[in-house]
Amino acid sequence: MTEYFIKRVLQSALVLLLIAILSFLLIHAAPGGPKTIYLSPGLSNEAAKIQAHNLGLDRPLPVQFFSWLGNLLKGDLGYTFKNHVPVGKIVWPTIGHTMILMGTAWVLSLLIAIPWGIYNSTVEYSLSDQTASFVAYIGFAMPTFWFGIILQELFSLKWDLLPLSDMYTMGKEGNLPNLLLHLVLPVSVLTLGFLAGYSKYARSSMIEVMDRDYIRTARAKGLPERRVIFRHGLRNALIPIVTLLGLDLPILVAGAALTESVFNWPGMGRLFVQMAISREYSVLMAITLIVAVFVIIGNLFADILYALVDPRVRLDRKGGSA
Amino acid sequence: MRKIKKATVLLSTLTLTASLLAACNDSNTESNNQAAANNTTKNETPAATNETPAANESTTPAPDAPVDGGSLVVGTFSDINTVNPIYIGDTSSGDLGTFVNANVYDIDRSNNLVVEPWSLASELPVISADGLTYTIKLKPEAKWSDGQPVTADDVKYTYDTIRNPDAGAPGISTVDKIDKITKIDEHTVEIKLKQIYAPFLYTLASSIVPYHILKDVPVKELEKNPYGKDPAKTITNGPWKWTKWEAGQYNTVEADPNYWGSVKPHIKTVTIKIYADQNTQTQALIKGDIDLVSSVPLTILDTVKAKDNINVVSQPGPQYEFIQFNFKGDNFPDKYVLFQSQKTRQAIATAVNRQGMVDNILKGTGTLLNAPFLSTSWAYDASAATNYAYDTEQAKKLLADDGWKPGKDGILEKDGHRFSFELQYNAGNARREQVAAVVQQNLKDVGIEVVPKAIEFSAWIDQNVTPGKFEALLLAWSLSNPDPDGESIFSSKYFPPAGQNSGWYKNTKLDELWVKGYSTVDQNARKAAYAEAAKEISTDLPYVFLYQYGAPEAFDKNKVKFDEADKPEATLGYGYFYHAIKWWTVK
Repeated sequence: MTEYFIKRVLQSALVLLLIAILSFLLIHAAPGGPKTIYLSPGLSNEAAKIQAHNLGLDRPLPVQFFSWLGNLLKGDLGYTFKNHVPVGKIVWPTIGHTMILMGTAWVLSLLIAIPWGIYNSTVEYSLSDQTASFVAYIGFAMPTFWFGIILQELFSLKWDLLPLSDMYTMGKEGNLPNLLLHLVLPVSVLTLGFLAGYSKYARSSMIEVMDRDYIRTARAKGLPERRVIFRHGLRNALIPIVTLLGLDLPILVAGAALTESVFNWPGMGRLFVQMAISREYSVLMAITLIVAVFVIIGNLFADILYALVDPRVRLDRKGGSA
Repeated sequence: MRKIKKATVLLSTLTLTASLLAACNDSNTESNNQAAANNTTKNETPAATNETPAANESTTPAPDAPVDGGSLVVGTFSDINTVNPIYIGDTSSGDLGTFVNANVYDIDRSNNLVVEPWSLASELPVISADGLTYTIKLKPEAKWSDGQPVTADDVKYTYDTIRNPDAGAPGISTVDKIDKITKIDEHTVEIKLKQIYAPFLYTLASSIVPYHILKDVPVKELEKNPYGKDPAKTITNGPWKWTKWEAGQYNTVEADPNYWGSVKPHIKTVTIKIYADQNTQTQALIKGDIDLVSSVPLTILDTVKAKDNINVVSQPGPQYEFIQFNFKGDNFPDKYVLFQSQKTRQAIATAVNRQGMVDNILKGTGTLLNAPFLSTSWAYDASAATNYAYDTEQAKKLLADDGWKPGKDGILEKDGHRFSFELQYNAGNARREQVAAVVQQNLKDVGIEVVPKAIEFSAWIDQNVTPGKFEALLLAWSLSNPDPDGESIFSSKYFPPAGQNSGWYKNTKLDELWVKGYSTVDQNARKAAYAEAAKEISTDLPYVFLYQYGAPEAFDKNKVKFDEADKPEATLGYGYFYHAIKWWTVK
């Protein structure tokens, strides 16, 4: 287990380094990179050169890269190009905001989707099952932002029941009931999106498992149906779901750019869009890296959970790479 | 000091979110320009000519008495960078700066440089007989929010710092004519210029920083200094104090109880709240979460206008759009410049339906323009510039006179060259896409083939506009300084890549007129030079000037109140907060 863990962490570090190099190169190769955006038309050439020098943008790329990487290892994400605001000051608060929004939607959708999907697997093509399919199709087909706008139009502008956007009413920062009110609409939108995938997944995974020989065996030896479903069926059906959860983990951090934008939620998704618009590449690089870290953690997490729920996956030399 | 609209960057990248809301892509995202607070002098054309009667009527609130202590919430769509006036370069920072930083001089509705009760100066600058020395006197009662007086040192330090290349101030080119700044006494400064340069006057309509706070900061460190970034460490001299910066969400300013001015602000708290885009912002206005937005997307303008509680100010801003021709042979096949003949250019101007663009694409929110002078400017002379009315037959005739003959495919030819060119513009700008399509159709009607080409904004500026490599393009200038001087974009002194005359346009007469225009501080002489320039440029047509435009401002009329004299003025930079010190809010 330990050896496997170390191996995975080392692999992850390597992947992260590659991602860092790649994102750095891509961003520096992009037309209108940090240099051009900084050097606005009002600046004379002379002043522009001094500016570029002050920012270190006239140094060779590898030098710039290692200096950036060095600062990164010290936890310094750098400064914005436009006005030397520390990137961390901008990025870190948004992660928390995004996790509140995405976390709520995620947990809620799991709490609904998995039991519902499992139940539906036992009553295939019943009204409940049909409803679930219908909801899933809507969830898949309806663009989240569109659904968001409809909800805003009805619940906020027309009936004035819920806040239109933002995380808190101004001046009520940190007030929990206020936060919950603001969560209702965006969470509904996101939950519908998650729900569609998870409920379908849970149902089909369960149906597939319930068809297996060992379930038939369990039934044949006279176990109560309840025990067959929960003890033998569910445990196996959860394996692919767990994988899915691990892979979805980074979304909790990265946020949903569109939903966050529509509801003006001050999260990382909205930040990414805004920073892309103003070409603040240092912030974009920071966000890319943070998300990459979570992707890797998510994968690692999925692998470990996988091993825990599936005793066939052994965390030894052989099974480790499963 | 004409800048390519920064917000066009916004637009081009907004394609990202454009899929989000079709309306997102609207031209009006552009109103987020970086017009600086620098402004003009005499105006002899009533600003009201720009306004529809409806706009005039709607901006007049009920004549009730001002009340103190209200609050105002304003929407914006990006966070600020700084409120340090030396480094303010973006609209959001500038918006906040308007409330907390007093200007040395202010600008009135008719573009005169004026001393308002809230200006730092006590009288208009005295210009020496040789036109080189400007003497500025400050009000002795003017104070910083820490109680220290505003002095000559503050003025000298501010302009000297902007002048210093190590500071990296975006406004460096506005002060490059300064030779020397001298402190005469505690409240008097003398600025000596290297040459007579009339537009310098507007540089003085700007804010200053406290010398006593920043004097020991090395100039290279200034940009990173907490001054301008940390509300607690930012000492200001305006009617409001910056009290809170909730990163990515909002900024708050509060009326300074110790404010020095004889006129005090009525509104106690102003909050500038950040929205993801113009549509969410406008939704919030409709909902009542915010009271004022400086730009409403045209796609939802009708919806907003239909709301009883909202007033829309439809007056175009200080920006204009144009089709630019290139005059450098290298950009054309066989080095044959298709646009080399003046008559050809006039034919193109005649063939394009500009009024149709204003009516249908801008939905009436713009006005036609024939020369690079806005109708509100004192330099504007309605009779000077030639207006090319839309006339397909006349255009065909001009082209025929000029030797263009239809080829086999109906496209005109001359000397074996087919009249077909590429018209570039930035991808994702819905307005320009529509304009390009109209131009393509209009010119097809007279036998000219236009190939519209949309390019990502930054790449376009980098690879085509700045180096002057294109055949023709669609672009806009935002006049951050409404001085009529156009040398930096039209004079042959400013060819690419260093200069901004990216079409390689050369007209000796015009080159001289620009110099003549800024080489005297006598406004009548200047006006005459610019009338002549308008005539010359509208005849010679380096650009086909299209229209002046800008997104309409909207506010909650039941909450935001002001007298007619203090209503917003769209043609000024930050004019949507014009005289905000005299506004009040109810509810």
